[in-house]
Amino acid sequence: MSFAIGTLVFLIVSFVGSLGVRLFYNQNPATNLLNITLVNTAVVCCWLTWAIVYMAQMHPLVNPIRKAEGE
Amino acid sequence: MATMELFRSEAMQLVQLIVPAESAHDTISYLGEIGLLQFRDLNKDQSLFQRTYANQVKRCGEMSRKLRFFKDQINKAGLIASSRPVLDKELDLDELETKLDDMEKELLEMNQNNEKLMRTRNELVELQLVLRMAGDFFTDAQSSAAYYQRGLEESPSIGESMDSPLLLEQEMQTDPSKVVRLGFVTGLVAKAKAMTFERILFRATRGNMFLKQAPIDAPVVDPATGEKVEKVVFVVFFAGERARMKIMKICEAFGANRYPFPEDVGKQRQMMAEVSQRLSELQLTIDMGEEHRTSVLNSIGYQLEQWIVLVRREKAVYHTLNMLSVDVTRKCLIAEAWCPVFAKPRIQDALHRAAMDSNAQVGTIFQPIQTKESPPTYFKTNKFTDVFQEIVDAYGIANYQEANPAPFTIVTFPFLFAIMFGDWGHGILMLIACLALIVNEKKLGSQKLGDIMEMAYGGRYCILLMAMFSIYTGLIYNEFFSVNLSLFGKSAFKCRSPDCSDDSTAGLIQDGHRVYPFGVDPAWHGTRTELPFLNSLKMKLSILLGVVQMFVGIILSYFNARFFSLPLNVWYEFIPQMLFLGSLFGYLSILIVIKWVTGSQADLYHVMIYMFLSPTDDLADNQLFPGQNVVQIILLLIAMVAVPWMLLPKPLIILAHAQLSAVFYERVMLNAVETGNIIAIIIGFFVFACATVGVLMIMETLSAFLHALRLHWVEFQNKFYKGEGYKFAPFSFYRLDVDDE
Repeated sequence: MSFAIGTLVFLIVSFVGSLGVRLFYNQNPATNLLNITLVNTAVVCCWLTWAIVYMAQMHPLVNPIRKAEGE
Repeated sequence: MATMELFRSEAMQLVQLIVPAESAHDTISYLGEIGLLQFRDLNKDQSLFQRTYANQVKRCGEMSRKLRFFKDQINKAGLIASSRPVLDKELDLDELETKLDDMEKELLEMNQNNEKLMRTRNELVELQLVLRMAGDFFTDAQSSAAYYQRGLEESPSIGESMDSPLLLEQEMQTDPSKVVRLGFVTGLVAKAKAMTFERILFRATRGNMFLKQAPIDAPVVDPATGEKVEKVVFVVFFAGERARMKIMKICEAFGANRYPFPEDVGKQRQMMAEVSQRLSELQLTIDMGEEHRTSVLNSIGYQLEQWIVLVRREKAVYHTLNMLSVDVTRKCLIAEAWCPVFAKPRIQDALHRAAMDSNAQVGTIFQPIQTKESPPTYFKTNKFTDVFQEIVDAYGIANYQEANPAPFTIVTFPFLFAIMFGDWGHGILMLIACLALIVNEKKLGSQKLGDIMEMAYGGRYCILLMAMFSIYTGLIYNEFFSVNLSLFGKSAFKCRSPDCSDDSTAGLIQDGHRVYPFGVDPAWHGTRTELPFLNSLKMKLSILLGVVQMFVGIILSYFNARFFSLPLNVWYEFIPQMLFLGSLFGYLSILIVIKWVTGSQADLYHVMIYMFLSPTDDLADNQLFPGQNVVQIILLLIAMVAVPWMLLPKPLIILAHAQLSAVFYERVMLNAVETGNIIAIIIGFFVFACATVGVLMIMETLSAFLHALRLHWVEFQNKFYKGEGYKFAPFSFYRLDVDDE
């Protein structure tokens, strides 16, 4: 369930970022498109790493086994 | 919908300009100020010397040589040429030429005079030294001779055959008639040569000489070479004319300067006084000359930059004019040039102004011409996007209007770097260093930097993004100088029993279905299973990211095919590539995700290998979802169809960074802390800090950078990017000035 919440957070970041570019750094349409692409590529990349690391820990095949004293 | 900036290179057009001869020069220099036309050489068959304006180019070359001479002189004199070029429009090239010519002559003459004066002065200084030092020899000798004489009187029985240090006086006293008169030569010789000088003298005169030398404390300027040399003053005594000749020759061979030295003490004093007086007079003259020279150089230096810029521009203008073909009537020049379509109004405006300013009767004709030739590639970059375009250009200049990887590279390059670098402590260090560069951007941009600095400065925005992504991936990997922190809440793992007795045997257990919300769970740190878990995770992470990147690359090839309306490329390149990649690596990626989500124990290696070897066999334990066999057979068939486009995956670089960092941390820092000795801890921390900065920051930065570069060039760009274009190189004064500095 929290995977969905995390993804939602990234979606919100992407939306806010795109909106921010449009509102606070408004230039000609071509440049705006580039800047929005940059923001979203960055968000997608970040989401991807987060999602991968998250999923990998959902059902780990090995569990953390602490090292014994002096190991 | 607007096309994305930077995605496609600017639309270009080949234009023809027919310029009236009288306004040609002005026109070209106005266009140079706009800097958006790339002229084509229309006189390729002519050598540089045969062209119309060869003479002017030569004159400009001569002038820039003179200017370089001035600059050199100014630098040598330790003055600073003013670095704010304000272009004086009134300055004419011909006037400047005569001016420069006069000034060069004046300066050369001054230099010559100065050189003569300096030579004389240096000679006088040496003479002064000789007079003083040699004078000392003689007075010393005299006093010791007197002392020995007293000794002789007191004990006449012993001292009969005793030599006084200087034979001269004694010999003369004992028997003036029999002795051959001793001659002597005084002078200076370089300290380094003094030993050999003595030996040679000794041999040449068969030992029949006496050399006395004394080193001078401070190095003196050699009159002949003008260099500072450590020297010794020498007096050599000899007998006979032949010996004198020999010694003279030896002196010459050794570059020993000889100076006259009167025997008479009175004359010595007189000479000394004369020399001092002449020296002070000479010094005055030299000082005045120097002052004059400085003022001349200063006045040159004030305008030098301006002249340099003017001459450089004029030279470039004539060079460009040489590329134009001259009409048979010689009334007009014809130029062909590439220009971006958006710049056409500005160019037309400049042409109009040029015609007005040069009072030409007819304006320049400006018309587009048709060509089959491929136009040059021109991307309008800014200071932020420039470095990323450079990274792409280093692989190859984009074909005209083909999809440019740069808009994606801006994010993915720093991101892939960070995937390999991932440590938010190191990331923060990098961010600080990079912010220092960006804050001082203006100051750094105007001065000359070292090679490494220049590189870091040029890539400052790339480094900024690399640092920011490194902080992000560092948080994901939970690495802070290879230390784990629980920033995002409690670990999702707990002990099996309340007393945690079996945490090193059975290990920790997941707390229900909870997953650590962001990044790698801190519980993994320092456990025995950390490495197997992280290696598996990072390998799969690499596969997934690599597959996504390759998909994006292939999708871009579709955009290219559609843009250039090449349906064949869509059907025979894009679709089979997508199918092939999707059915093998896409499938593998999906399997990885399914395995993670379901917690299946299936062996993916086994699944993938047997998908090829025996697709129909039962998967048994390795089945991840129902009907997997059928799906695999279909995918395999699709892949077979797409086989001609088979590309072997190149495994991504497994992330070795964290391990190396941990080694340093454990070996150096922890060992030092364990000793409990405060000094050991300080030293340990120092070594750890140096290792962090030296090895991890710089070396690892470079290696991660290179891998990111390789991933972009090889894995991403070769999916869609041809890179066989050529760069737009317009005739531009601005570029000219930048390149020259």
